[in-house]
Amino acid sequence: MKQVAYYKGCLASLSAKELDSSTQALAPKVGIELLELETVTCCGAGDIHEAEPDYYLHLNARILAYAEATGAETLMTICNVCTLNLRQANYQLKIDDALRARVNKNLETVGVPPYSGNVEVRHFLWEIAEGEGYELLKQAAHRGLKGLKIAPFYGCQILRPSKILGFEDPDRPWSLERIIEACGGQAIDYPAKVKCCGFPIIQAREETALGELIQPIEQAYEAGADAMVTPCPLCHLSLDAWQSKLKKATGRDFKMPILHLSQLVGVAAGLHDSELKFKRHVVSVDPVLEKLEV
Amino acid sequence: MSEAILYTDSPTMDVRLKIWRFDSTTGDRELKEYEVEAPEWATLLDVLDIIKDRVDGSLAYRKSCRMMICGSCGMRMDGGAVLACKTRMADIVASGRVPTISAMGNLPIVKDLVVDMTPFWSKFRAIGPWLRPGYDRPDDGKEYRISQERMNVIHKESLCINCGCCVSECNAMESDPEFLGPQALAKGMRFVGDPRDAGTVERLEDYNDSHGIWDCTRCYYCNERCPKGVDPRDAIAKLGAESIKHGIDRDMGAKHAKWFVKSAMTTGWLREAELVPKTQGIVSAIKQTGFALELARHGKVPPPFPPHVAERVKEARLLYDLVKEQGRDGALGIVQGEHALARIEFLEEHGARLNAPEIQPGVEPPHAEG
Ligand code: SF4
Ligand code: SF4
Ligand code: SF4
Ligand code: SF4
Ligand code: FES
Repeated sequence: MKQVAYYKGCLASLSAKELDSSTQALAPKVGIELLELETVTCCGAGDIHEAEPDYYLHLNARILAYAEATGAETLMTICNVCTLNLRQANYQLKIDDALRARVNKNLETVGVPPYSGNVEVRHFLWEIAEGEGYELLKQAAHRGLKGLKIAPFYGCQILRPSKILGFEDPDRPWSLERIIEACGGQAIDYPAKVKCCGFPIIQAREETALGELIQPIEQAYEAGADAMVTPCPLCHLSLDAWQSKLKKATGRDFKMPILHLSQLVGVAAGLHDSELKFKRHVVSVDPVLEKLEV
Repeated sequence: MSEAILYTDSPTMDVRLKIWRFDSTTGDRELKEYEVEAPEWATLLDVLDIIKDRVDGSLAYRKSCRMMICGSCGMRMDGGAVLACKTRMADIVASGRVPTISAMGNLPIVKDLVVDMTPFWSKFRAIGPWLRPGYDRPDDGKEYRISQERMNVIHKESLCINCGCCVSECNAMESDPEFLGPQALAKGMRFVGDPRDAGTVERLEDYNDSHGIWDCTRCYYCNERCPKGVDPRDAIAKLGAESIKHGIDRDMGAKHAKWFVKSAMTTGWLREAELVPKTQGIVSAIKQTGFALELARHGKVPPPFPPHVAERVKEARLLYDLVKEQGRDGALGIVQGEHALARIEFLEEHGARLNAPEIQPGVEPPHAEG
């Protein structure tokens, strides 16, 4: 078992509890032991970075410091936005000794252990898309997906900016497709799979955001997808919960089920209802479950 | 060897390209394939020159400097904006990929690869890209000097060559064509951060208008595409931070951002249920009640009480006070980390990518075996 410090982020602790429960249930099956972090806070999304950037850096340093204190080498995220925020702060702290010294002094002043720069921030997707995690995933996904057509939706902040994320080519990513196929599904290709869902401005600029949101859902729908899968709970929230707003605005009701990555693999791995918690979705996942006969 | 490369005796390669040809007067559109022999060092621009020279003189594209300075040769390769003169073809040819070249996005096409830059220039003009001098002459009558530290704040923004690559895939602009966009806003930051400029507050007020900074959807395409390392998204974040520092927070985007700070300080976690009223105000939040109730039925709006509180959250609050005392508010908080982020690119170029698996452009991704 690979031990990782587990950073849930806000959404999986709040409105996307199903992401947390399915990740917790799936992790041991793919060789990952999650070390819970009780003391950490929100990473601030892009929002604290944009409002109080120095505070953003300190908050993320604090998260990294507590992750390091667990003894694990990896801080595992389950959200795109957390991944970018933490990796960005991590790079700054790793590379710039003077900056790390200043931040550490502040951390120590308020009672946080200093961060020495030895943690790597990785998304769960990357853990299971290659290497040991991928080998175990193939075994774990024994129930398969019966050739179900799945549209992968990456979202932005797990691909771009690639100099900070860097796992795969941001214009030609492959990790979700590989996982879908390993689970026995059929990956659908469509142009908007790497685009933005509009989430960051869904409250402040609803119209602009809906103009973005409709693209992946419509394209996946037209390509005949049974469901979409995303590695980001923020993407999940907008794709799932805002479909009713799209219906109101455009008259089109896509009824497209949206799965978290851990739910998609989880279904193929035979996780329980109580772990997958599909009832928490706004758009019903029942058509998918019927096809899979679970 | 064809005469196309008579001017060189370096080794050559066969380059295959597809180009979207377009004629705005007739609306005709056609994807044409070309194959030419080119020197191994050829860039995309060199290849286009060879095509125009030897195969089809009617091909239209812009160029001037051929050295990443003039900003003329922005175009799309496989859907992503590049400078043709910066893009070497050898690796792509070696990978067997046949790239598709087309005009940049978010701008009207005039012919083939030439776009109408008018909307780009009018947004550029709209941010007031000139100094509004407001500084005192130094006593000794000599030139006004800017310290390196102050220059660092706008170093990246000053590198812009107005090529438009950042605009091409801007997702917010696709949805709201009036959005000022990454290039104009990065230029705006270049003046907001200039110590000689007297228009800071006025500028921030302007950039806070409805098609300004809070329209950005953080898709990060601009940072990904910019060939000069301007990182316009980071410039927009700097403008956001400067606005909030100057108390310009009327926009819902600013209120949204401030609520995250408040949440982190008080409970450690986002106080999600209160986010809508804090962002949009009570009246429009109530208008959203039907929608909110639907979400609540699925547990998507967790009740605010009892709040979900992180252990030792007091530390997060103390950190806030401490950091505020140290006065790196606003753009400075972002600027202090740029040096480190620039190092990543440097290391990458020298083959020592930090802790990240390689991205190999054009290499076929591994397929599932399961
Ligand atoms: S993604 Fe967002 S909401 Fe989630 S932890 Fe990071 S900041 Fe908080
Ligand atoms: S797709 Fe949407 S929620 Fe997901 S990372 Fe992009 S902006 Fe964020
Ligand atoms: S990050 Fe903002 S400005 Fe940059 S491309 Fe995306 S929406 Fe446009
Ligand atoms: S910011 Fe970069 S991509 Fe945008 S116009 Fe300037 S140089 Fe070009
Ligand atoms: S020709 Fe000048 S930037 Fe490419």
